[in-house]
Amino acid sequence: VRSLLKSAAMALAAAAAPLSAAQTDYTLPPYTPAYEPRTVDERGAWMQADEYERAMQQSPLLVTDEGLKAYVRRVLCETVGHDRCDSVRIYVLESPHFNASMMANGVMAVNTGLLLRVRSEAELGSVLGHEFAHFEMRHILEDFKNRRGASDALAWVAMLGGISGTDTSSSQMLLLGSIYSFSRTQETQADLLGFKYLAASSYPSTASAEVWANLMAEQDATATGRKRKARHSYNAGFSDSHPTDLKRAAYLAKAAREVGDTGDDPRVTGHYEAMRPMLPRLLHSQVRMHDFGGTEYILGSIARMTGWTGELLFARGEMYQLRGNPRDFVTASQFYRQAIAQGFAPPVAHRNLGISLLKAGAASEAQPELATYLQLAPDATDASVIKALIAK
Amino acid sequence: MGIWSVLRSLALCVCALTAVSVSAQEKTGIKEGFSLKPGTARIVLMRPTVRVGEQSTGGLFEPNADWTTQAREHIVAELAKVQRVLGNVVIDYDEGMAGEAALVSQYRNLFGSVADSVIEYQFFPGNRLPTKKQDKKRFEWSMGPGMASLESLDGADYLLFINTHDAYGSTGRKALQIVGLLAGVSVVSGEHTGHAGLVDARTGELVWLNADKQMGGDVRTPEGAAKRVAQLLEGFPGRTEGESQ
Repeated sequence: VRSLLKSAAMALAAAAAPLSAAQTDYTLPPYTPAYEPRTVDERGAWMQADEYERAMQQSPLLVTDEGLKAYVRRVLCETVGHDRCDSVRIYVLESPHFNASMMANGVMAVNTGLLLRVRSEAELGSVLGHEFAHFEMRHILEDFKNRRGASDALAWVAMLGGISGTDTSSSQMLLLGSIYSFSRTQETQADLLGFKYLAASSYPSTASAEVWANLMAEQDATATGRKRKARHSYNAGFSDSHPTDLKRAAYLAKAAREVGDTGDDPRVTGHYEAMRPMLPRLLHSQVRMHDFGGTEYILGSIARMTGWTGELLFARGEMYQLRGNPRDFVTASQFYRQAIAQGFAPPVAHRNLGISLLKAGAASEAQPELATYLQLAPDATDASVIKALIAK
Repeated sequence: MGIWSVLRSLALCVCALTAVSVSAQEKTGIKEGFSLKPGTARIVLMRPTVRVGEQSTGGLFEPNADWTTQAREHIVAELAKVQRVLGNVVIDYDEGMAGEAALVSQYRNLFGSVADSVIEYQFFPGNRLPTKKQDKKRFEWSMGPGMASLESLDGADYLLFINTHDAYGSTGRKALQIVGLLAGVSVVSGEHTGHAGLVDARTGELVWLNADKQMGGDVRTPEGAAKRVAQLLEGFPGRTEGESQ
């Protein structure tokens, strides 16, 4: 029984062997539009995805800003081409985490946290292209089949091992590991096909590697902010679903050198223009992640492209006010002041400036700011509290 | 796919190998003193949640589109057929021009959570919350009064929610079960759960809930779906005599 189990596990592990690193052909494969699911498993996967899509259409997280939605679609189409992008339904979801995902039926979900972090149309296109590649290669179905195969084998290994009194823990670990290594292989495949879209598009293919380099720099900033040391390893851990950021940055940078299309314009301004109407909202949720170092890194990289706008300065003030060390209120007041001077002066800017000044011990300066807040927003829910603060 | 989904499916494997059947489970709850006189109320039926598929050897749910479509058709047809014995007007939910689909879908989710809580913390005696222990007859659950202001539910007295989930044991799962039987290890093959609930549209109170973790009736056939619907609506308040089952 033992050798049988071992060979079964090894066969499964072999099926999930990582693909060869040598990849020099960067031309796009032909694409079949209007794909319909074929097998029982595939129809089931599509039906389940249809149900998720139904729920997603009613989600309170759904972004309704038409400009932003149109922008994300334009970048996807620019990256993968119209024959590919037209069938995709894109849902932009308000979530501060860096993520995007693809479902079996051609639904693409894009987090606002991704939009906040990428620094150009090209970088966004690189991530959207990666997700579309999962769809083109039918990865969701394959991943389900692989998980089913491995868990079926696990059930038999556990059962037969139990009956025969054999220790099967190593076979079980092999099977479990095969689930993750299969997932990592798919991610690498999607990275490479996504890279090919970018290489064939008007965007520079160097943007692919830059996404991951940028994400690592943010992780460094987060770690520093939390008084920890960041570690970037090249090899993925046992239960990692993706290759490490460092490895992805490395093989994508190598591919970009081979293609050599560095002359294309990554289009920076278009990205920030599209995000602008929602930017204060997106920054607000990022600040509330309580990630001081990471948020400062993100604000800094946006400011490098757009300069320190009132929105960015206000978010920076919020960061310090939220951290709330005595000295932070002084810094926060300065940033709120600068934001208002730059023309970003919603009622809440005056309120937060007033409160920060109060906490920094500058009550006389705080009074007029709080009064302005009440004047601008007389019906605010906290109006009575602020009135009490002024009366003191 | 995250580590959690794998751990969950693993846990399923392990559970399945050591599962003890839960037979002491209660199935029905009704608000104390609640009665529904025939011909007095207007009941709105929310879109039933129907999921049908297979259970793989390792215990994963394999969704099956054809079975789910069949089951939905049969269940909806059967619900229309039995409406006359429910004793009151039953109409399908229609959003109309209210633009409230997003909010209503949140209420559907909320109903799911409340129903799960009732099953977990009241119907299952081992987990019963202290406040539910004092008076076993007391059935006091609510979704809050917010729904009363929904335009698309104007004129509705009660909302009826229906939910079924079927995972038929695959050949592999059955084989594992048989081998397990020989070895003295209990493997559960197949999962058939469902619940139906009635909510007061004005107060948000859950007035009746019927839940079963081992439902009968093959929902892929008209006869089976009829049996399932009859089970789901067992003990429905205010139903008239002369029902077919």
